Amino acid sequence: MEITLPLFGTASTISDSTGLSVVGLVTPLNAAAPWQLELPASGIFGLTGPSGSGKSTLLAVLAGQRHCRGNITFANTVWQRGRRALATHKRTLSLGFQDSRLFAGQSVAGNLALARRYSRRPLPEEECGRLLKAFGIEPLLHQPVELLSGGEAQRVAVLRQLFNNAPLQLFDEPLSAVDRARVLRRLLPTLRDFWSRYPALVIWTSHDFDEIQLLAQRCFWMDSANLSAPLPLPEVAQRLDSHGVGDSCRSRIEARVESLNDGLLTLDLGGISIFADRVAGHYRKGDTAAFLLEAGDISLSVEKPGLSSILNCLQVTLVAKQNLTDGRIRLRLAAADQVFYADISRLSCERLELREGTTYFAQFKAGSLAGL
Amino acid sequence: MNIAAADWQALWLTLKLAGLTTLLLFIIGVPLAWKLSQWQSRWRHGIEVLITLPLVLPPTVLGFYLLLLFSPNYAPGQWLSQLFDGPLVFSFTGLVFASVIYSLPFMVQPLLAAFNANGQRLTQAAAALGIPPWVVLLKVLLPASRAAIVSACALTFAHTLGEFGVVLMIGGAIPGETQVVSIALYQHVEAMEYGAAHRLALMLMGITTVLLLAARWLGHRLAPRGSSSERAKPVMGVLG
Repeated sequence: MEITLPLFGTASTISDSTGLSVVGLVTPLNAAAPWQLELPASGIFGLTGPSGSGKSTLLAVLAGQRHCRGNITFANTVWQRGRRALATHKRTLSLGFQDSRLFAGQSVAGNLALARRYSRRPLPEEECGRLLKAFGIEPLLHQPVELLSGGEAQRVAVLRQLFNNAPLQLFDEPLSAVDRARVLRRLLPTLRDFWSRYPALVIWTSHDFDEIQLLAQRCFWMDSANLSAPLPLPEVAQRLDSHGVGDSCRSRIEARVESLNDGLLTLDLGGISIFADRVAGHYRKGDTAAFLLEAGDISLSVEKPGLSSILNCLQVTLVAKQNLTDGRIRLRLAAADQVFYADISRLSCERLELREGTTYFAQFKAGSLAGL
Repeated sequence: MNIAAADWQALWLTLKLAGLTTLLLFIIGVPLAWKLSQWQSRWRHGIEVLITLPLVLPPTVLGFYLLLLFSPNYAPGQWLSQLFDGPLVFSFTGLVFASVIYSLPFMVQPLLAAFNANGQRLTQAAAALGIPPWVVLLKVLLPASRAAIVSACALTFAHTLGEFGVVLMIGGAIPGETQVVSIALYQHVEAMEYGAAHRLALMLMGITTVLLLAARWLGHRLAPRGSSSERAKPVMGVLG
């Protein structure tokens, strides 16, 4: 049970940080290695690691829903000092659960309205409408939540949390049951777009590295209740691979936005134009856009190909070759200071006589750029 | 059917008693079950047993203790008769007081079951959206427990309709004040007026059957079809 003291919830002299500051946080799980966090007032951070490593416990402790010792301060407000903790509903945060936890006996609209009504920073009406559309919830608005599928319930739960628009937003595997195509095509671009206009401090927990790659710049790694400092994404990818957790064959690439016409986005990647179709996000010229490229979607040619319906062609350098267990070869390619992967068959590799350090042409369709 | 005016009076008194008891118990039972479902102390088991006691004790035991409690010879009884402006023994107010205790488990148990099933998950989710506890109870837990509430109220009402032993101990059979249907029926049998006894017995049977059927129907309507886990099935099972 939480003990609420009047002195809590008021400004304190412990920390001057306007973001999240966690010092020496100890739960029964991590008695030997207290958790420390120092995060800014806004930004998106990933949190990943093997199952059962304590990720959900960390979120529950930040939300004040589990016993712990230590200090937590957010936006100059003490949330926890020693064993004394501020009640969950008085913390300016929101926490989303993997099992959705929609309010039973109410419609989808009722759930969303309640979250919005108790928001500390209510969103304007038109923003809510935009989110409803992007999440595909409009046709479900008047359904009782008991009739939703697992994926629909998760979409409603994330939307409910966005409608709440808390300054600190914690997510625990929120999209694990939603089909991947929808997550990559619609939801992640919408989320990134939303948080660029309504900044918040977001901690996004997921086993799906693609989600983290598209949303965050940095990611925490949790293993056996040991919490790392925020790490750059390539390092997290390596750790995931070595734990056999993620099987990410998608590479994250950043490019500058040139134009957006009729859902066709033109990007500038080291002086070469590349194209993406069916774009869901909102972009302006000069923005930096990140997208994912699936290794299996890339083809390689020795000579510059002629005119083709495949819109994108990049000159790349083959950096390394690696045999995969399924008989294919994974090629590490570099173009315009960025690295990505292409998987091709062993036969193609022999026919083309691919050699490291040589320049080739990589082709991929406009529809294969995911997460824009 | 030819029913005497005194029997109509007994019936009206019984319905009034059951209705008032259900209303009072709803007001007491909801916060009580809510607090109990959130309370994580060893004492919780003790309190839950105490609430369950009226379910297993013979009504005469309860009536006997209530008689002692209402007695003007002791301080609690004096205080109660001051509070209610007159002694509670052989009065309608006393009957309501006794019925609230007698039917307490029928209101609290179904609510507690529903709050335990949904409560922690939904309370955590709601608190993590900044919703304060009382709003969580009214706007989240109660709507989520609608089927259980219908069932709890129906059980409480029906159980109070059939109250006999406690009434006999503390109320007696004053027409228009404490003579409920079950007592009137008993008196008809004692006086060998079997026709009148039949009429009252049938009427009570009819009322309770219709009531429980209506509660079942409403409970099913409130639980959306095709759902799985969120439905208050175990609670409705009590009625079956």
